[in-house]
Amino acid sequence: MSQIKRTRLSDGVYFSDVRDSRFKTMKISANIIVPLSEKTASANAVLCGVLSRSCKAYPDFTALSKKLSSLYGAELSANIRKIGDNQVLSLSVSGLDDRYALGGESIARELSVLLCGVIFKPNLQGEAFVSSEVEQEQRQLLDVIDSEFNDKRIYAVGQMVRNMCADEVFGMKRYGTAEKIKEVTPVSLYETWQNLLKTAVFEIMYIGDSSPEKAANVFGEAFSSVDRAPETAQTQVVLSAGEVKRVVEEMDVAQSKLVMGFRAGTALPDSDAYASMLMCAILGGTANSKLFCNVREKQSLCYYCSSQYDRNKGIMIIDSGVEGKNVEKLEAGIMKEIEDMKNGVISDFEISATKLALVNYFQSSNDTVSGIESWYCSQLTGSGYLSIEEMSKMIQSVTKEQIVAAAEKLTLDTVYLLKNK
Amino acid sequence: MMNETAIKEIKSDRAGDSYFKIAHSSGLTIYVYPKEGYRSAYAIIGAKYGSVNTCFSSDNGEKITVPDGIAHYLEHKLFESEEGDAFARYAKTGASANAYTSFEKTCYLFSCTDRFDESFEILLDFVQDPYFTAQTVLKEQGIIGQEIKMYDDSPDWRVMFNMLQGMYHNHPVKIDIAGTVESIAEITAEKLYDCYNTFYNLHNMVLCVSGNVTVEQVLKTCDRMLKPSEKHEIHNYFEEEPYEIVKPYVEQSFPVSVPIFDFGFKACADKPLDEAELAQTEILLSALASPTSALYRELMDNNLINNTFSYELFEGPGYCGVIFGGESRAPKQAAETIKRYISSVKQNGIDDEDFEIAKKAVYGDAISSLNSVSNIANMMADYHFNGNELFAYIDAVASAEKADVERRLARLLDVDNCTLSVVKQAEG
Repeated sequence: MSQIKRTRLSDGVYFSDVRDSRFKTMKISANIIVPLSEKTASANAVLCGVLSRSCKAYPDFTALSKKLSSLYGAELSANIRKIGDNQVLSLSVSGLDDRYALGGESIARELSVLLCGVIFKPNLQGEAFVSSEVEQEQRQLLDVIDSEFNDKRIYAVGQMVRNMCADEVFGMKRYGTAEKIKEVTPVSLYETWQNLLKTAVFEIMYIGDSSPEKAANVFGEAFSSVDRAPETAQTQVVLSAGEVKRVVEEMDVAQSKLVMGFRAGTALPDSDAYASMLMCAILGGTANSKLFCNVREKQSLCYYCSSQYDRNKGIMIIDSGVEGKNVEKLEAGIMKEIEDMKNGVISDFEISATKLALVNYFQSSNDTVSGIESWYCSQLTGSGYLSIEEMSKMIQSVTKEQIVAAAEKLTLDTVYLLKNK
Repeated sequence: MMNETAIKEIKSDRAGDSYFKIAHSSGLTIYVYPKEGYRSAYAIIGAKYGSVNTCFSSDNGEKITVPDGIAHYLEHKLFESEEGDAFARYAKTGASANAYTSFEKTCYLFSCTDRFDESFEILLDFVQDPYFTAQTVLKEQGIIGQEIKMYDDSPDWRVMFNMLQGMYHNHPVKIDIAGTVESIAEITAEKLYDCYNTFYNLHNMVLCVSGNVTVEQVLKTCDRMLKPSEKHEIHNYFEEEPYEIVKPYVEQSFPVSVPIFDFGFKACADKPLDEAELAQTEILLSALASPTSALYRELMDNNLINNTFSYELFEGPGYCGVIFGGESRAPKQAAETIKRYISSVKQNGIDDEDFEIAKKAVYGDAISSLNSVSNIANMMADYHFNGNELFAYIDAVASAEKADVERRLARLLDVDNCTLSVVKQAEG
């Protein structure tokens, strides 16, 4: 895999670059990591959106869009994620590599300066953001919250997590709550911005062919005048579940959604997490998984039934869409597959095929700019970056005994059912 | 009679890449786009056969009408053979496989980073080896039934098909790709064979491979695996479709908290757009409705759209149009604003700066899309079925003229021939 080089620019500010000449585009992302908290999550989310809409040099949305489009359709995007108990705000720019500019412009340099400007020189009026920009972003985020209800699969998984982790920070949404979003003002957002510059950990990532030093310098200089006191959160991992919580919600929908949440008994940095990753993929992560082959293909109960392991939080989620009358059958079918795994009913073929599928999936991510970027970004809150080869080795070395042990650690915590009326 | 295999290299100085177009002796057209330095490879084989092809004849034989959703059903069932299913075979190679059915084509694909030849053989084998029995066909009803119900609950899917029902009187594009629970109950093994034997003929198919492969490598497996086929004349029957829409407004109540809309402009669809027309259309839509445009600004400032706003050209055999859509608290006002803006641009012409910026943006997108092996292969398949070439499109973007783009505007966007579809929460 293309090598990553990480250097420290300031206290809690790191610049990583991956030099790669295979692509026609480049990308720089600034990943801003802060502890997830009810107090700050919504304001941070609003800020991230506002910063991506305009800046001092391009003080409104149209001016900024025109600048980007004239750089051959370059993109500036904002993204908010939850990685364990941390909130990760990302601002990124991507565009054509300089080789393809019709007029010989340096797109990479312009984009580095633009991204830095967006973060350090926003569009301000004194010590406040512009109110129309803030209002516009509040509206966008409130719509995002509302629209999660539109997609019932996303909604059902969200409801399961909310119930399962009701007493944990992780139970929060990545952008907090509608109430807190509405409380943001142009003045409070200025404080949020100042606070982020001081306390967040910044991981800046550069992927492309052109020289990254210029971009590193631009950011290094910008941070040199900032007084830094970075903080991050340790993710709370609940190792096993108590009594099973059951939540049923009725709605006028055609298909019921069953979502089951398990405590996996392990999370990163514990190296057992790799066995859990493989165990989860054997159970429901591929088109040869136990859930796919048995619950879908043999029993014809559903179109999708898959499992996902969150290695940072140490939980596993199984979700499926099913006919209302078959819900119990489905739940029993899922539990049977898990029992089988606990009892060691796993063939050598299932293990080797799933290892192969995971490694294939890892390796494919090295062939796109966004794949490389998300490979490293998924490890942002860890203690360092594993390359594709290193992570593949971890997966390859997992034994059947470790897979069974990982399955034995699973405890069912919450069953959420969105039931059709 | 067996033809010779012919290989042609197609180069692009702009992209700095080249690909190979091969007329294979079996009758299949093959595209190979090697990507230097890549570990992964992606292969897709497609038949020019989609959900709209429900009434057809082969070699002037009997006209056959088949149930709605059968192309998609066939896609599911083709994975099975007498020996088991293709997913289990792919499991041995580690490839990630999938398939999809759209209005106008059915495609089977895989991506891998190792053991390409083995996976490629599996793909070519199962696509040429149908195995349908009463029992295996019946088993799929439960699975596809749940797939249909999943889409029934998808507001994005519903809003689009409601719009198509409002736009098209007769064209089968208005019917759900997967059909209905009732229509798929009529599907039999015999009907699946009728469809398979008509459309899964190598002359009616295309194979596209990109990434870590060579032409020699691809041809070696193809020469061994492809069963030469006789060319058949396929005739698809579509009822006459009037130019006019059915109705201008369609609404459905649905459990959603943000209403969504699709606003479709129906256009004349006498022949597929060529590369130049496609390029002009993309530039036109970018100039009109991308975040750079005055229209986008007006819609945003008046809180009529949010970040989900998008637009697309929508084109296939016998249908053509443009869809604007997204979430909106006031879809009717959004649609009125779009109409008003289009009328004014029609009257005053496209602004020079808007045109230049849009051209650069579309050009950048076209070049960027050549980063991804899956994008490349999928685009080559799409272009092929309409008689177009990928690099010719990129050249057409670079050489597009404003006057041509304005002519596209006049042809594509008739403000008196559009349907607004809205999905929103029941009132009260």
